[in-house]
Amino acid sequence: MKNFLSLAFCSALALAAVQGPARAADPIQIGVIANLTGSAVKTSVQMTRGVELAADAINAAGGIDGRPVKLIVEDSENRAQEALNAANKLYNVDKVPAAIMFGGSGLMIPVAELAKEKGRVLVNTSSSSPKLGNYPGTLFSILPLDDIVGKELGLLIADSGAKTAAIVVPNSTFGLGVAEAAAAAFESKGGKIVKKVAFTEGQPDYRADIQPVVPVKPDVIITAGYGDDSRAMLKAARELGITAKWYAAYPSILELENKAFVEGKLFGVDNGGYAQPAGKAVADKYGAKFNGTADLMAHVYYGYDALMVIAAAIKKAGSAEPAAIAKALPEVVSSYDGATGKIVWDARGQRVSPPIDVIEYKGGDFVTTATRN
Amino acid sequence: MLDFAIYCLTIIAVWSVLGLSLNIQFGLTGLVNFGQVLPFGLGAYAAALAAQAGLPWPAGAALGLVVAVAVSLMVLLPARRLSQDYWALITLGAGELFRLTALNAPSLGGADGLTVPRFADPHLALGAALALMAAAWLVSHRISHSPFGRLLKVLREDEVLAATLGRNPVSYQRTVSIIAWAMAAAGGVLYAHIVGYVSPSSFTVTETFIVWTALILGGPGNNLGVVVGAAAVQLLSVSSRFVASWIDLPADVLANGRLALFGLVLVLMFLFRPQGLVPEKKEVRDAQRR
Repeated sequence: MKNFLSLAFCSALALAAVQGPARAADPIQIGVIANLTGSAVKTSVQMTRGVELAADAINAAGGIDGRPVKLIVEDSENRAQEALNAANKLYNVDKVPAAIMFGGSGLMIPVAELAKEKGRVLVNTSSSSPKLGNYPGTLFSILPLDDIVGKELGLLIADSGAKTAAIVVPNSTFGLGVAEAAAAAFESKGGKIVKKVAFTEGQPDYRADIQPVVPVKPDVIITAGYGDDSRAMLKAARELGITAKWYAAYPSILELENKAFVEGKLFGVDNGGYAQPAGKAVADKYGAKFNGTADLMAHVYYGYDALMVIAAAIKKAGSAEPAAIAKALPEVVSSYDGATGKIVWDARGQRVSPPIDVIEYKGGDFVTTATRN
Repeated sequence: MLDFAIYCLTIIAVWSVLGLSLNIQFGLTGLVNFGQVLPFGLGAYAAALAAQAGLPWPAGAALGLVVAVAVSLMVLLPARRLSQDYWALITLGAGELFRLTALNAPSLGGADGLTVPRFADPHLALGAALALMAAAWLVSHRISHSPFGRLLKVLREDEVLAATLGRNPVSYQRTVSIIAWAMAAAGGVLYAHIVGYVSPSSFTVTETFIVWTALILGGPGNNLGVVVGAAAVQLLSVSSRFVASWIDLPADVLANGRLALFGLVLVLMFLFRPQGLVPEKKEVRDAQRR
């Protein structure tokens, strides 16, 4: 044990010693922090693969001004403390100018605090808490804010002719953010929210949580979620005999428990960039590298765009210094046509007015039936 | 690199305070607290709430200590008539109750959490963490080397024996809980100011078991062992990140391998050194020879 610790110490020191000043052909190191273990692993791995695809594309084209991109991927274990360990290693030891992160706001905000203190860049691909707007010049979001997607979802439900809706969302920043914005938009068009359920994530069964929705018989159910929780949620609804239509934010990230149950009954709004040529090209690259696109999720596109805009910013600034990247980022995104469509940032570096696709689940697949914005 | 070392030392110091607090409860007294994250979280949230209200940090610290002591007495109440096995269940439940309350109460920030003013200087954070660790160490040392501490060990080995000596186990457990929970709450206050943000996701059961791992790894009942254990857990966690970066495998495979290595080290430890890295010393006292 003692030997192991001293070995670990020496290895850490040796690593620090081999780092010298940057030369022209030196790789540009970019950090990636994701929940590679713990919960929400699948989505994190997808995001990381997206970043890898972007790195492959950049390096195949000769790097950024001749310097290749080198990714350093760190696991956050979906724990704030480990996310901080990872970020401290990336910013202090590897000295990355920018890191791309997947994680909830509980992990993202402590890392943003650190990035701000260190004067580095953090690109968010997953979290949509309004608190993220407090780090202008440090934190930039590739994922659009929940209230924008939620509002589009609410308007879509109103357009469908539904009069009553129930909300069934996880009790998370994401779930509540979508629910509030969707409910406000739906009610502004004369709709009525008849029941609101916010379940605590991580339980094996949600029948007790969803039971109150059964007697109110809503026309539609507003939902949001991903991973095992969404699977358990849909299973509970099926077992309770709920027949209402489902309207989800980002329906493609839901884990479908029973395909027949949601066939023709699951609708939603998603970021509309994926269906465009840039998104299609990324999907093709994904299929070639990872044996087909059967498990492809939207997070791949966000990871891809995150590294692409950082690379564009480094190229424009002619420097991989964090301050230069932070300054160039808002300038380059305005002309960047990415896998998630056109990126528009507000003054805080938060994404607004993304292209929106209207999605329907039919014939065992998610089909785009209309576009907005 | 120096910044990273400072950060690691700070975290080790904070985790040591938590470990020392658990050591007084489990290592000395035999109280199985599976809700060690509760006083830690209470301290952190008190610091955050005080900061939100515009109060200076000592107000948050005082609030954290008072609330942690009050809650420890409240949690102890149902445990009074039960054996120590139930203590584990009650504390585990209490810790989760707190986390779920924080998650569902908008006034506590909900899932969004609360922002706390951070230490502007990492050196200052390290100094504060080391100072708190030294204070916790002193308290632990005084307790374990006092007649009070010796009686706690009697209590740990055999509660009935302690009672036959004319001592009331419950009152001793109460005193221990008050001291230990206040200590952990102080660690929480400091942690909130180091990280700059508190949210329910930072205070899960996992964190409790990380502290337990440090305690069992280091050697329960030995204060030095606890600090060594806390250092070992943090250093294993960060050093395996460096080792992983030299191996060319997909990132998700490496991440899982890293955790597997962590588990393997623990299993080997329990197989070949179950008493911990720095085991508790057996004290021999001969009353007549003095």
